[in-house]
Amino acid sequence: MLVTLAQAVINGLLIGGIYALVSIGVTLIFGVVKIVNFAQGEFVMIGMYLSFFLATRLGVDPLASLLLTMPALFVIGMLVQHFLIRRVLALGDMPQIFLTFALSLLLMNVVLLLFSANYRTVQTHYTEAALHLGSLYVSVAKLIAFAVAMALSAVLWVFLRATDLGKAMRAAAQNRDVAMLMGINPDRVFAVAVGVALALAGAAGSLLMPFYPAYPLVGQVFVLMAFVAVVLGTLGNVTGALIASLMMGVAESLGIQFVGADSGLIVVFLMLLATLAFRPNGLFGGWTR
Amino acid sequence: MIAVAVLAAAAIALPLVVANRFAIDIAIRVLLFAFIGVAWNLMGGYAKQLSLGHAAYFGLGAYTSTILLIRFDVSPWLGMLAGGVVAMLASLPIGALCFRLRGPYFAIATIATAQVMMLLFLKFRDFAWGAEGTTIPNLGDDPLMMQFDGKAAYYYIALALLAVGLFITHRIERSWMGYYLVAVGEDEDAAEAIGVNALRIKRQIYMISAFLTALAGTFYVQYIYFIDPNTAFSFNISVEAALVSIVGGIGTLWGPVLGTVLLETLSAFLQSWLGSGLGGVQLTVYSLILMAVILWRPAGLIGFVSDAWKRLAPAPAAPVEARDG
Repeated sequence: MLVTLAQAVINGLLIGGIYALVSIGVTLIFGVVKIVNFAQGEFVMIGMYLSFFLATRLGVDPLASLLLTMPALFVIGMLVQHFLIRRVLALGDMPQIFLTFALSLLLMNVVLLLFSANYRTVQTHYTEAALHLGSLYVSVAKLIAFAVAMALSAVLWVFLRATDLGKAMRAAAQNRDVAMLMGINPDRVFAVAVGVALALAGAAGSLLMPFYPAYPLVGQVFVLMAFVAVVLGTLGNVTGALIASLMMGVAESLGIQFVGADSGLIVVFLMLLATLAFRPNGLFGGWTR
Repeated sequence: MIAVAVLAAAAIALPLVVANRFAIDIAIRVLLFAFIGVAWNLMGGYAKQLSLGHAAYFGLGAYTSTILLIRFDVSPWLGMLAGGVVAMLASLPIGALCFRLRGPYFAIATIATAQVMMLLFLKFRDFAWGAEGTTIPNLGDDPLMMQFDGKAAYYYIALALLAVGLFITHRIERSWMGYYLVAVGEDEDAAEAIGVNALRIKRQIYMISAFLTALAGTFYVQYIYFIDPNTAFSFNISVEAALVSIVGGIGTLWGPVLGTVLLETLSAFLQSWLGSGLGGVQLTVYSLILMAVILWRPAGLIGFVSDAWKRLAPAPAAPVEARDG
């Protein structure tokens, strides 16, 4: 019993690290640009397909392909901000929601048209490898994914605090008008924020590839988790999103272990509804301090 | 007024003129989704509460009437109303939770509620057939049980539903409630400040919208003779309800109808041209249209129609109304 519990918690934490990369991206864009990116999951999917083709065509290890997918998605993010999101910033909720929603539908279906709904997997020499700690079992691929995810989160944390650009982002998140008066160029800050968020999604894609299949709708799994984590962790709060993602990974894993294989999502959605009922502003305060 | 009468006459005459089953099937889909769009638009268009979870009510309507029919031999006509009431009641707790959030996070919370509903119906097998679903027993031509030979009767039911939806929208548009809804949609805090009880008005319109959406759910399962959680609570229903309204013209009486006619006809043509095998074409085209509308014509395509109408029938005395764009 105790071993099962510990095993479920470990599995949950490991996948929670991936959820964290996605939800940090969502909360970063929401905090800085004040837009919810419904297409964030599809950028994870694109990261996965990039890694998949780099691995199968050029023999690049999925984890190494992170060095290519992150910059590629950073550039895509700047373009998405410049050509799409920027144009609806002055408009109401409807255009803001449905623009990225349409982008999400578009990416899913274009990938479906191009590559079919087939599952794509990459076998690496560490895909099946596992560490055994007593009677506990830790997948090496998931452990690496978790470690890299935490490292990237830490880098982002330092970036937001120690660099001028990061400070400008936090300033823009706290009060866009005052930040502009202080000489911050919002176009540039917004483009970098979206770029960074998408780079994190791309990283999540590459990290998933050794142990998770790529298919056109795969992003939906992660984006729903991310949305719940972002509400739970308080909108716009990066540290909150990270902690909430880990909690949700664990909650999902416990649900699967103790309620039934198809109950993970129910547990997570119930967490969302309970949060809305009792702590509608999330578990943590405002923007991370 | 004349235009509406002509349109209504044409709609009533259609099954008498067109005998092609495929064409009538498309027409039924158009009417049904226009009706769902109209129901969504009451809340999403006028009050700007952008739900992406209306499949929850569509599914509740579908399941309520089916359970009553199969387990208790209740006519789907009664089941339809019962489904509407169940949906209305369900909208109260769901609204109580989701209305705590605004804008995009309201939309996300509604997605979650529809998903929870689907997962519950997948999980509870003895209560509602689980993932396998069930076929609706075919009783032959039995109008009292909402079953008919041929498609014309279904066509007229869908047409009647749409007419009811449009009539309700028309009445609300011209009532105090309509003005309150628009005020809440424009700026909730400002509306509260001038004395509109925003939460109450949102709750009321959500109930009406849920009720109407549930009627569509009952009709749909009676029409296709099959129900399972993935059909009844399909995310595509939620998406299409919002999509047709936005493409046509959000917060306008005829917007959802125009949007559905355009999108469904287009999708029927795509399907006959490319075959149904090529998955993804329909939604690729839909999403491109949606993006184009949002970027270039956020008020929807209804503007083109009303502009053209003004040119055709210029009102002599009334001053020309300035349009957006």
